[in-house]
Amino acid sequence: MIEFENEQTNVEQKVDNSANTLLDKEEFKNPENIAFSCRNVDLYYDYGEKHSLKNINIDILKNKVTAFIGPSGCGKSTLLRCFDRMNDLIDGCKVTGDIKYMGQDINEINTIYLRTKVGMVFQQPNPFPMSIRNNICYGPRCQGIKNKDTLNKIVEQSLKDSALYDEVSDRLDASGLSLSGGQQQRLCIARTIAMSPDVILMDEPTSALDPIATLKIEELIKELKKKYTIIIVTHNMQQAARISDYTAFFMLGELVEFNETEEFFAHPRDKRSEDYITGRFG
Amino acid sequence: MLEELNKDNIVQEDKKFKRKELTDRIVKLIFLFIAIICASFVIFIVIFILEKGIEPFVKNYSLVEGEVVQQNIGLFFTNTRWLYDGNGGMGFLLLTTLYTTLLSLIISIPVSIFTALFIVRMAPKRAKPVIKTCVELLSSIPSVIYGIFGMGVICPIIQMAPVQTFAGNSILSASLVLALMSIPTITMVSINAIEAVDKSMINASIALGASNAQTNLKIVLFSAKSGIFAGIILGVGRALGEATAVQMVIGNNANGLGFYNPLNPGMTLTSAMLSGIGEASGIGYDVRFSLGIVLILVILMITSILNVVKNKMDVIKTKNSTSVIKKIGKFFSSDIAFIRTYFNDKFKKDSK
Ligand SMILES: Nc1ncnc2c1ncn2[C@@H]1O[C@H](COP(=O)(O)OP(=O)(O)OP(=O)(O)O)[C@@H](O)[C@H]1O
Ligand SMILES: [Mg+2]
Repeated sequence: MIEFENEQTNVEQKVDNSANTLLDKEEFKNPENIAFSCRNVDLYYDYGEKHSLKNINIDILKNKVTAFIGPSGCGKSTLLRCFDRMNDLIDGCKVTGDIKYMGQDINEINTIYLRTKVGMVFQQPNPFPMSIRNNICYGPRCQGIKNKDTLNKIVEQSLKDSALYDEVSDRLDASGLSLSGGQQQRLCIARTIAMSPDVILMDEPTSALDPIATLKIEELIKELKKKYTIIIVTHNMQQAARISDYTAFFMLGELVEFNETEEFFAHPRDKRSEDYITGRFG
Repeated sequence: MLEELNKDNIVQEDKKFKRKELTDRIVKLIFLFIAIICASFVIFIVIFILEKGIEPFVKNYSLVEGEVVQQNIGLFFTNTRWLYDGNGGMGFLLLTTLYTTLLSLIISIPVSIFTALFIVRMAPKRAKPVIKTCVELLSSIPSVIYGIFGMGVICPIIQMAPVQTFAGNSILSASLVLALMSIPTITMVSINAIEAVDKSMINASIALGASNAQTNLKIVLFSAKSGIFAGIILGVGRALGEATAVQMVIGNNANGLGFYNPLNPGMTLTSAMLSGIGEASGIGYDVRFSLGIVLILVILMITSILNVVKNKMDVIKTKNSTSVIKKIGKFFSSDIAFIRTYFNDKFKKDSK
């Protein structure tokens, strides 16, 4: 009986970490600086059966790298997919609460427009089975760009931006699948950059890569943050510490803590973050 | 002591695995044997038809009045009429066969592809299995039912055309019936091809701001193209080879000159083979085998050309250029060697 009551109270307990996740800092006060803001975001999978994000409150700064870390299954990818509404493709997925992009409710923005502004790089490199050139031209072509010169310029620029140009400039018509894994991932980044987005979402972009390819992508991300807002999911805490400006730590669907990366790793405010960083679980 | 035991164990285990390997290899050979039997049946059928089909050109058939006839080789290629008396020409039958098939494909290919695309990518989740089952059922309906449907529904509709038709029996009716018959086949294969498209490609496309229509055309159909083409090859085979349903609606017009107009009645290789076969005798019966040769050759040629095209479509190309027979030989020679040594060893042991 007592146990039952305990369960009841557990369920009713409302998660409220907003004190730990909304920062009281100058940069966050100016709405101009904020790319995404989430308020009281809940997400349910399987027609409401699975509560996968619980009361998320977070602001993502423009032209900064924000890293999402946390144990497997805590909802990092799920939140990332909220930002370009890729969750719409999943049957039975429901999002409640406010997510704003540049101050505008993302449900009111045309999804196609949103996805051209918010690019996504997936965990597994997934170039299309076409030539390198066509891989990059795919997005712009879908937006109706047909001019060959323009497309060629886009190809060159995005390959240079993604640090792939020197390796593939002499075989742009080779299949995208003929590249190595790390090259494929950079091709996927190039493909995303070709849309000239404002934000790039990266879901564990280096988890399928070896250390050298990983290093290259990390260098690239540092380069890219001059132009783009980047949100990156990673399992690798060193990576988060190396490349990100802000770090968000998730657990069991909650956003536990959000802070400047240095501060987060030096002085975690939540016990759970501290345990995770020091490797006591997860 | 312990060492000895281990040694024994290893020998024991080794024997066990050897026996397992032996059964594997024997089963493999048995399957090869069965495959060879099946393949030789096909060859046997072809030889049978060839032999029977050449007969009308060389054998003397006696008619009632004491005359003797053979199938005229020259007329077989040049005559514009099909006759069962030794003077028929199959040229227009062949043309009509190809023409009817082509017309049916013009209808069935787009319809099938879009049906498959709809079922996999657009249909509501609950409706999907229902529609899929319907298509599966359609593909198992026997051709005579399609023929009856053509006679009862399609022909009367064609008859409504403002021009004179042969009671609606026409090349167009045959094409429509063939299209209906091949749509389920092509659709089923296309569904499988489209379902096999890598989900991550689709996600990547959508994440790049492509609309659903763009994703479907540029990624889904593009990636599934060789699978869909395999379905089309099956559809072509079905359309080229269908006899019953075609014979019921095409009008069986022995004069081939009107073949260009789809509203005219016509005659295909298959319908010429089938129509009146019950009453046929002598040369009128045997010459159907000659048409059979033509039909087999056409189907073999077209499907192998289409297969070459399909293989060109596949992204992954195998570079191996050794001949198939050599490959098969290599594939099995090690098995035979293994089995031989196994039994040799065994006999040696037994004789000891
Ligand atoms: N398509 C889906 N349908 C149902 N449940 C899902 C779906 N995708 C994710 N989930 C569930 O949502 C929760 C969060 O998943 P998510 O993929 O966001 O985790 P993650 O933090 O990215 O984990 P990982 O680090 O392993 O990638 C998990 O419990 C998972 O089972
Ligand atoms: Mg994930």
